[in-house]
Amino acid sequence: MSRAAQEYWRSREQRDGDPSVRPFVEREFQEGASELPEGVSRRSLIQLVGASLSLAGLAACRRPVEHIVPFVRAPEDMLPGIPRLFATTMPSGLDAVGLLVTSHEGRPTKIEGNEVHPASLGATSAWAQASILDLYDPDRSQQVLHQGQRASWQAFVDAWRALEPEHLADGGARLAVITRPFASPTLARLIAALRARFPQARVVGYEPVGDELILRGLEAATGAPTLPLLHPERARVVVAIDSDFLLTGTGSVAHARRFADGRRVASSDGTMSRLWSIEAVHSLTGANADHRLPLRSDQIAPFVAALGSRLGIGTGLALDAGPATFDSAWLEALAADLEAHRGASLLTAGRRQAPAVHAAIHALNQGLGNLGVTVEYARLADAVLPDTTAFAATLESMRAGEISTLLLLGANPLYDAPAELDAAGALAAVETSIHLGLHTDETGAATTWHLPEAHFLEAWGDARAIDGTVGVVQPLIAPLYEGRSAIELLAVIAGEAAPPPTLPEGETADAAAPPPTPEPASGYDAVRATWRQILGTTQSLALDGGWERVVHDGLLSSATSWAGIPLAAGTGATAAPPASAGARSASDVALDLVLVDSPRVFDGRYANNAWLQELPDAITKVTWDNPAMLAPATAAELGLRNEDLVRIAAGDRQIEVPVWIVPGMAPGTVAVELGYGRAFGGRVADGVGANVYPLRSADAPYLVAGVRVERSGSRREIAQTQDHGSMEGRPIVREATLEAYRAHPEFARKAVEVPHTRALWKEEWSYEQGYQWGMTIDLNACTGCNACVIACQAENNVPVVGRDEVRRGREMHWLRIDRYFAGDEAAPQTVFHPVPCMQCENAPCEQVCPVTATVHDAEGLNVMVYNRCIGTRYCLNNCPYKVRRFNYFNFTKHTPQVLRLQNNPDVTVRSRGVMEKCTYCTQRINERKIAAKLEERTLRDGEVRTACQQACPSQAIQFGNILDGASAVAQAKAEPRNYTLLDELLTKPRTSYLAKLRNPHQELAETHQVEGHAPAGSGQATRDHGDDSA
Amino acid sequence: MAQIFPKWTLRIPLYAVLGAPLVAAAAAGGVWYWGSPEFTDVGYRPKQPVPYSHELHVGTLKLDCLYCHASVESSAVANVPPTQTCMSCHHVVRRDSPLLRAVRESWERGTPLRWVRVHNLPDYAYFQHAAHVRAGIGCVSCHGRIDQMVEVTQAEPLSMGWCLDCHRDPSGHLRPTEAVTEMEWFPPRDHDEWAARTIDERGIAPPEDCSGCHR
Repeated sequence: MSRAAQEYWRSREQRDGDPSVRPFVEREFQEGASELPEGVSRRSLIQLVGASLSLAGLAACRRPVEHIVPFVRAPEDMLPGIPRLFATTMPSGLDAVGLLVTSHEGRPTKIEGNEVHPASLGATSAWAQASILDLYDPDRSQQVLHQGQRASWQAFVDAWRALEPEHLADGGARLAVITRPFASPTLARLIAALRARFPQARVVGYEPVGDELILRGLEAATGAPTLPLLHPERARVVVAIDSDFLLTGTGSVAHARRFADGRRVASSDGTMSRLWSIEAVHSLTGANADHRLPLRSDQIAPFVAALGSRLGIGTGLALDAGPATFDSAWLEALAADLEAHRGASLLTAGRRQAPAVHAAIHALNQGLGNLGVTVEYARLADAVLPDTTAFAATLESMRAGEISTLLLLGANPLYDAPAELDAAGALAAVETSIHLGLHTDETGAATTWHLPEAHFLEAWGDARAIDGTVGVVQPLIAPLYEGRSAIELLAVIAGEAAPPPTLPEGETADAAAPPPTPEPASGYDAVRATWRQILGTTQSLALDGGWERVVHDGLLSSATSWAGIPLAAGTGATAAPPASAGARSASDVALDLVLVDSPRVFDGRYANNAWLQELPDAITKVTWDNPAMLAPATAAELGLRNEDLVRIAAGDRQIEVPVWIVPGMAPGTVAVELGYGRAFGGRVADGVGANVYPLRSADAPYLVAGVRVERSGSRREIAQTQDHGSMEGRPIVREATLEAYRAHPEFARKAVEVPHTRALWKEEWSYEQGYQWGMTIDLNACTGCNACVIACQAENNVPVVGRDEVRRGREMHWLRIDRYFAGDEAAPQTVFHPVPCMQCENAPCEQVCPVTATVHDAEGLNVMVYNRCIGTRYCLNNCPYKVRRFNYFNFTKHTPQVLRLQNNPDVTVRSRGVMEKCTYCTQRINERKIAAKLEERTLRDGEVRTACQQACPSQAIQFGNILDGASAVAQAKAEPRNYTLLDELLTKPRTSYLAKLRNPHQELAETHQVEGHAPAGSGQATRDHGDDSA
Repeated sequence: MAQIFPKWTLRIPLYAVLGAPLVAAAAAGGVWYWGSPEFTDVGYRPKQPVPYSHELHVGTLKLDCLYCHASVESSAVANVPPTQTCMSCHHVVRRDSPLLRAVRESWERGTPLRWVRVHNLPDYAYFQHAAHVRAGIGCVSCHGRIDQMVEVTQAEPLSMGWCLDCHRDPSGHLRPTEAVTEMEWFPPRDHDEWAARTIDERGIAPPEDCSGCHR
């Protein structure tokens, strides 16, 4: 099956020829794109021009005086100009990802994955990439606050010492700790010490978005709370039930890598797994599925029950009494596929599903023989698990006055707790509340004490990944804003003293003179104490060199990692069926509201991260907002258009959000992302989007059944990028089914006819020697997760432009991911298409530059010379791929000083009026080339890696020397699926694509096409291909 | 009544029209020539916080460049030494010299010295010391006779054209790597043949592409 180009559409408006998107398609620059932002009058503009002209002359005469400030005592092994890499670990809930952080002269600038860490395998998520920006966030809490007044850490310690005797006297009965769930040996040890000291104290794990329902479901089924560790690479059939395991699910980086491994088709006789997805919202995982069934949330449990009964496996779920709304042929095909692949299939359900569904999935996996093969269970050690029931009970006790001291570790319940729990009222009833957080957030502003928290790049710690690997959190920089870690705070509360001054050899010797009273242990002391126990139990590492090895590697690479938990014998599902099943309102206008964990700001913790706010969502392509996502049919029923403001009301609470119609949403469902609408989030976060948490209830945290959606009458424009940079009506993305590919391996290359004429322009270089750089992007591996986009932004000092500028089409991302839909808008197929600069050998941009600001170099790079550029934008006009970006303003001029610390010193910070674009990370090429030269050798394959390539969890991007036949990129380019974009224009791009493959089930392949509303001609042709091979 | 304007004034417009292009050309030529880094930058000699004399340390005492600027062989940037390097001698030598007060204060208080940068390239140009030093370009080629400077002075224009002159034909500046830091080095009689051979054998290929220096 290969599709005609016109069958793909980027937005419904574009497909239907709506005049509102014509400007984006036809015009190079948006109308008014070169206008000044609103609020600048003609008069003030002329004043500015006059002033800057008169000053420009003077400024040019002044030589910029730069100072060189060397160390007084130089640290060992640190040479200025040579970045160093340190291993550390990013804790994220019950999971952790190993990282390698680049540090330039002591300031961390870039995050990469740690190749030896099993949760990373060298790759990172967009969140990990963006967390470097959080470190420098100027809005982070910068001081200890007591009743809103500036205080000191010592004042807090003294205040706690005064409270301590009272709590010691009653065993801590009036003491409560509410913490974000974690898996960390040191934190767990300190919590245990706290419990030993205050046996009556309550320690509760609370998080607004997490895996609590999975834990409860699997606990009911297996006897222990656990999380699934998926091995899609071992499965032939993968079934995602309301699950986004490729993007927002726990362990997604490693899961995405293994999923892609199971679908790599190196040659035309290769095989790949098949992904089925059943979901109410359109998730990234669903977009990658071979078959995707949009299904209302309340129909998902019945679907699983029906699947179980069809397979003859008891799921413990009640079959829906009412008529099944799902397609029985679809279910039949899925069941047949699962039966055909017993022991090589995999089912997983997402965190929004009720515990009973997870128990049922466990039963299905067990019945199909998948346990221990494609699904393993994590051993959650050293963890505090989320427990909403205990959290609610604690809030109740607080209201009753039973708690006098409350410790909040990173939790922000005043923003994200369900409204009916009245966290604010409960907090007000507590005498002393202590909040440790990165921001003086909604909760931090209301507590007695607020303590600034150290970022994970600023403090010692440790964290356990779900596969059991323990990693060390190593600080890269001293705390910027007097922050302390949760470990340091707990050391005070748990009474852990600093080690006595008689230090064994090899320990830090810079401990101050022995204090008269026992000082609380520092974060390093506490972590070191834990690791003395851990390393003591591991014989091979019992020597003191063990710790240094662990810090160097970032993790303990030994047998202590994953070991399966014993499963309760003969488990059937014992959990109660979900309460919400069948609770659907009869009213026609009532919809299900699904609360989605945001792939950008997650639960709100990344809301002040401008990179993530400006990141176009993989599916909706919306930035800087969390609109109400509706299926086209549902929107039509309600008479809603894109950008109409609607009120979503549940009970007496309501929110107002704009509508965004998303093809592939389940009918009768409205979905809104959590984490937006912050009031105390920081200058980036505040006022962006709407806060949906108030609509949430503790019983059904991700689903509000029977909400009313009504138009409020006004509209709000959404900054979205789905129509930007369109390459209209050309075969941009090419795909085929696995069957068709086997029959016609060359389908991608033959999709267009390349004229045998020669290009008009003389080529300057022969490109026959030295390094010739090239890139391939495997559309079959790419999941569209956006990690590369943020990695590029971090590496190349790409500025953030803000909501208004995105609306004008001025976003600056050097690498964009185009998303195309195809087929029926109720259940479309999706293709993700990352587009960096194509580095054409015969580049159209170069021909039109009047000042030779963009030229070629001998290694095939299309080079952009910023200091020559005068901003005519002819090059962007002439670029058929629309990959050039223009600095309409000096976007970095007002960047706070502290954020500039993140900038990569090896990349020029561009100013106003300059064109820029992807450089293939020329700074990395040069750095590695010179390093190899100093060692008097040539570069090895894989030595130069671009930022996007390095971050990619599914290893979709290959980069290297195309003249070296053994290089990964040359081999990828030799694959039959390889094609270049618009090669009929004879631009000879160095970036090429490997066409996407789909693996539809035989029984559905036919109906799929029929349902696809494909234009008759092309649809017919594609089916003929399929028949040939069958 | 006499004429206010004598007759010759009638020719002023003509002279102006004829002369203006000349004046304009002269002005442009003047800026182009005297405004170039060769005139604006060469000779730049800012006041430094410590009256450190390269003439004394390098010229008379024969300290090697690498003693202080240790990173030039491995890093893109040439480091200015930490106060520690100064004190490694000056805690014995000239302990009480008033000229060294700023150095002693820096050492005792732990506050760094703030040197003024002399050789300052624009931010969009990325010079790589190690690549040049290891290829065999002498320090003198860019920094001049440091051993004769009491205060460091910019000796070369460091303009792009000046860089490219050498990148197009480095043989004149190429030395055996062991002679890179020598201040007074005279090429042997067969230098040209030696340089041509070395460039060939060691694959010395200075980039002339924009991407060589601009990122």
